[in-house]
Amino acid sequence: MTILRPTFLRLRAMSLRILPGHAWGKVRALGPTAQGLGLVLAVLAVVGPVLPVAIFVLLILFMIYATWAYSINLITGMTGYVSFGHVVFVGTGGYALGYGVKVWNIAPFAGVALGGVLGAVLALVIGVVTLRLRGAYFAIATLVTPLAAFYIVSGTPALGDGSGLPMNLGFQIGSQYYTIWALLAAEVALTWWVTRGRLGLGIRALREDEDAARAVGISVSRVKLILYILSGGFAGAAGAVFAWYVSGVFPDSFNLLFSLTMLAMIIIGGMGTVLGPMLGAVIVLIPHQILIRILPQGEPIAIGVSVILIALFLPGGIVGTIRQYVPDARRYFE
Amino acid sequence: MAEVGTVVASLVYGVLLGFVFAAIAHGLNLIWGVTKVVNAAHGEFIMLGAYGAYFLNLAWGLDPLLASVVDAGLGLAVGVVFYFAFLYRELRGKDEIGLQSELVTLVATFGLSLVLVNVGIIAWKGDPRGLRYNPGNIVLGGLSVPLGGVYVGLASLGIIAISHVFLSRTYLGNAIRAYSQDIAAAKLMGVNPTSVAAIATGIGFAMTMAGGAFLTVYLRAGITPFVGLTYAPISFVIVVLGGRGKMWGSLVGGVTIGVLLDVLQVFVPVEIAYAAAFLVVIPVLALAPEGILR
Amino acid sequence: MSQPSAKETAPSAPKAGRGKIIAIVVAVLILVAIAAAAVYYLVQPTPTGIIKIGFTISKTGTYTVEGTNSLNGILAATAWVNAHGGVTARGTSYQLVLDYVDDQSQASNVPTLYAQIVTQDNAQFLLAPYSSPLTAPAAPIADQYGRVMLSHGGASNTIYQQGYQNVVGVLSPASMYLRGAIDYIKANHATDNLAFLYASDSFSSIAGSYAAAYAQSIGLNVVYNQSYPTSVTDLSTQLTAAKNAGADDLLGGGHFTDGVLVMQQLSGVGWTPKLISLLVAVTEPSFQAQLPGVSNNVTGPSQWERSVVFTPAIASAAGFEWYGPSGAEFTSLYGNMTSAATPTYHSAEAAAAIFVLAHAIQAANSLNTTQVRAELGSMKLMTFFGKFQVNSAGLQVAHEMIVDQWQAAALKVVWPTAVAVSPLQYPYTGG
Repeated sequence: MTILRPTFLRLRAMSLRILPGHAWGKVRALGPTAQGLGLVLAVLAVVGPVLPVAIFVLLILFMIYATWAYSINLITGMTGYVSFGHVVFVGTGGYALGYGVKVWNIAPFAGVALGGVLGAVLALVIGVVTLRLRGAYFAIATLVTPLAAFYIVSGTPALGDGSGLPMNLGFQIGSQYYTIWALLAAEVALTWWVTRGRLGLGIRALREDEDAARAVGISVSRVKLILYILSGGFAGAAGAVFAWYVSGVFPDSFNLLFSLTMLAMIIIGGMGTVLGPMLGAVIVLIPHQILIRILPQGEPIAIGVSVILIALFLPGGIVGTIRQYVPDARRYFE
Repeated sequence: MAEVGTVVASLVYGVLLGFVFAAIAHGLNLIWGVTKVVNAAHGEFIMLGAYGAYFLNLAWGLDPLLASVVDAGLGLAVGVVFYFAFLYRELRGKDEIGLQSELVTLVATFGLSLVLVNVGIIAWKGDPRGLRYNPGNIVLGGLSVPLGGVYVGLASLGIIAISHVFLSRTYLGNAIRAYSQDIAAAKLMGVNPTSVAAIATGIGFAMTMAGGAFLTVYLRAGITPFVGLTYAPISFVIVVLGGRGKMWGSLVGGVTIGVLLDVLQVFVPVEIAYAAAFLVVIPVLALAPEGILR
Repeated sequence: MSQPSAKETAPSAPKAGRGKIIAIVVAVLILVAIAAAAVYYLVQPTPTGIIKIGFTISKTGTYTVEGTNSLNGILAATAWVNAHGGVTARGTSYQLVLDYVDDQSQASNVPTLYAQIVTQDNAQFLLAPYSSPLTAPAAPIADQYGRVMLSHGGASNTIYQQGYQNVVGVLSPASMYLRGAIDYIKANHATDNLAFLYASDSFSSIAGSYAAAYAQSIGLNVVYNQSYPTSVTDLSTQLTAAKNAGADDLLGGGHFTDGVLVMQQLSGVGWTPKLISLLVAVTEPSFQAQLPGVSNNVTGPSQWERSVVFTPAIASAAGFEWYGPSGAEFTSLYGNMTSAATPTYHSAEAAAAIFVLAHAIQAANSLNTTQVRAELGSMKLMTFFGKFQVNSAGLQVAHEMIVDQWQAAALKVVWPTAVAVSPLQYPYTGG
């Protein structure tokens, strides 16, 4: 550690020169988690273009999944409402981009924006009805929405019915990369922001005991609905980027596997935390790239076993568990 | 447009379909009603029951109706093991099952479902395995009805009736009901909460796996390790519609979905009928969270 | 969990030691994992003197069965080419080397894997994954890096409507599947009323809807036209409706399970169509095994059957060149490599992709993408799989579908009459 210190000081001195003093103070006040995540995002933004194409393409997928993980974290992690059907926003965003690009000839960026808006609107519609339900009832009510959406798009000629909407936008990985980077950065910042201050307090109270939170004057239903709308918006926008990434959108975009993967990511990383979804995305996707070449069948089983063990024995996931057992580390793991 | 004959036929087929659905959802209904937590891996135990029936048929030529009895025996054991592996830690010593327990078990059993589907794929590949069991048809007027479906319907009705009698007339049944209504009071009455919940889970699994055997009669085209992914959501919807813990609710929910699916198809595209059959659960939950049955 | 945020600004340097170490350890572990993964990809040697063909294949997930059969076909075909002197271009003989990864039947894996296959493994030629939703993400990479990509399992026509430069299909597109049966009806029973009932997945919906339109365009009477979801569990309502609409013949289906479902429920609803033609399911041996009796006289389209023999003589008579083994030779090679399995048409079309590519490289006398693509665009080739000729979009136009029928527990080719081994039995009698 002592060897590192001079380097660290020199680095800090360098950054002090780049940033004015008061701004540096603000960065410091963010705390290690926000600094660390900020650093990761900054590095991603800077090194992206010099990376080999295959890794660049992989990073797009990673950021799409991380955006989804943060999205489901906003509702399921923050409030404990398990959004099993979260993929409905992914598919909706994808179809928004596919339809916009194919029928209205809009730019993919506009398609991503449209996907975000439609995701948010759909979340509003679903949320108004279902957020009054608790526990498994909410999980089931949301579970049926992607199933229904799958059948609806399969039977809608304007959406290509079973053939979906394949599209040829070329190999636009640069635009995809920075679009999803911006979405992820915005979502991480939002997640960090909603966990502190009054709103954060309200959310924590809601998760611990919804009735008690309501009794002390927190407008529980509004908080839940806002979180759900934000969550749906980000999932929809990232779903649109995903459709762009795989050059098409098909009924299978409503495959429940996506819901399950994002859920597994936040369970493993730590639900309702700022760092958890990012850790979960890394932990699920890095082994994926290796397992797919050596043991493709073992991968879902490994994820399943991890989810079981973590749910039963370490319900806080990685971040929650470290915070629980190593109080000193709480500063670094939020 | 639609002929009366078509509507009547679809009504009959819908009811038969509803009976199959009721059979596969019934175990979930019991477990959810008693323990208050949801088994997200429900579909995979249907799948295991179906493979059980398939292999019993392959090895000894048992027809699926007989195989369902063997499946039920297996299910009882599997259910008790499942209870101690997945639910016990979370439920023991609690007089009230909170949302936190519901969340933990939902997530843990979701992990189990991932594991079981993929173990199924490794063990039995993805190709459909079908049973050769076809007792023929009966013709009623202009309407031809497959006998296999009728047998399954009767068996399903029988199971639901028996479980109703069991819960209301026997000592063990009463203990289970007492536990499901108020754990603290049940304990005061001398009910051992752990054994009652474990037995109820075992019975639920027995019925689930028997339901899987019935499914092979209906899905003669073949079962795959993925069948659970189709039938688990249908089971959830059925239990919600009928009301968890209400034994006749399985039948009400199952027949509602079956009839809705088949009759709607006469009037709207099939895809829309399927979507509607799933979406119906949302207004029902919003208006009558305890299900259609009062 | 609910740590008050006010505490965080408090200076706690000595206390935080353990936490900081854990934070650093976690960060280092993640960095090491990422670095290891990066090194794993980057340290891939690039061998020379060979032609590397890269692709992803579905060994797990939804398309496990089709993907495995296709892969076996590709392996057998590659073994044949390599055992017969490899591929010769500009006087050099090249051995074919395959570079493939499981895509788990998921589109999300395809961009990364094809990017790796092209930019790191340096595959010179590509095969497309199985199915159209997986082909779509691979196609822009093939175009970007100028690699010819032969499609052996994406029958859906929509892929060829996207303006991709380098995607070339070896198999008949979905729109052709049910034409044989319709042509037979037009020629022999032109007054029959037709019912179309087909799955709404990518492939089947195109097969069904194009077929219904084709039937109407040649003056046949279509009285029922309906799609159903792939995960369908009950078709009694549709079959009853088709029967009540006065249909004589039933065409459609989708994949194996729904095809068998149709047959089982037909007897359940008491309808005996005069002619039944179903996609995919009928040509599977287990169709007959599961439906003994009932399957008799049921017809279905096929891309390929072992009984249909193509030879160099037939090729030259039709003005086509010939490449590759005979059907019998391929079948026995395939059996040797797969512990006595029989090739399915998925195996055959995937094998054909390798033979077509090998011949195109030889004919172009070049490994250059543009020249090989041009050769693929103009060449007329026959293999054991049948004819190969594509239009400017890369869509297969020459390969002919055949119609099979179960007759006395054997699958017989019944249409077109030129290759039929037995006349089509009409009507279907219900077994």
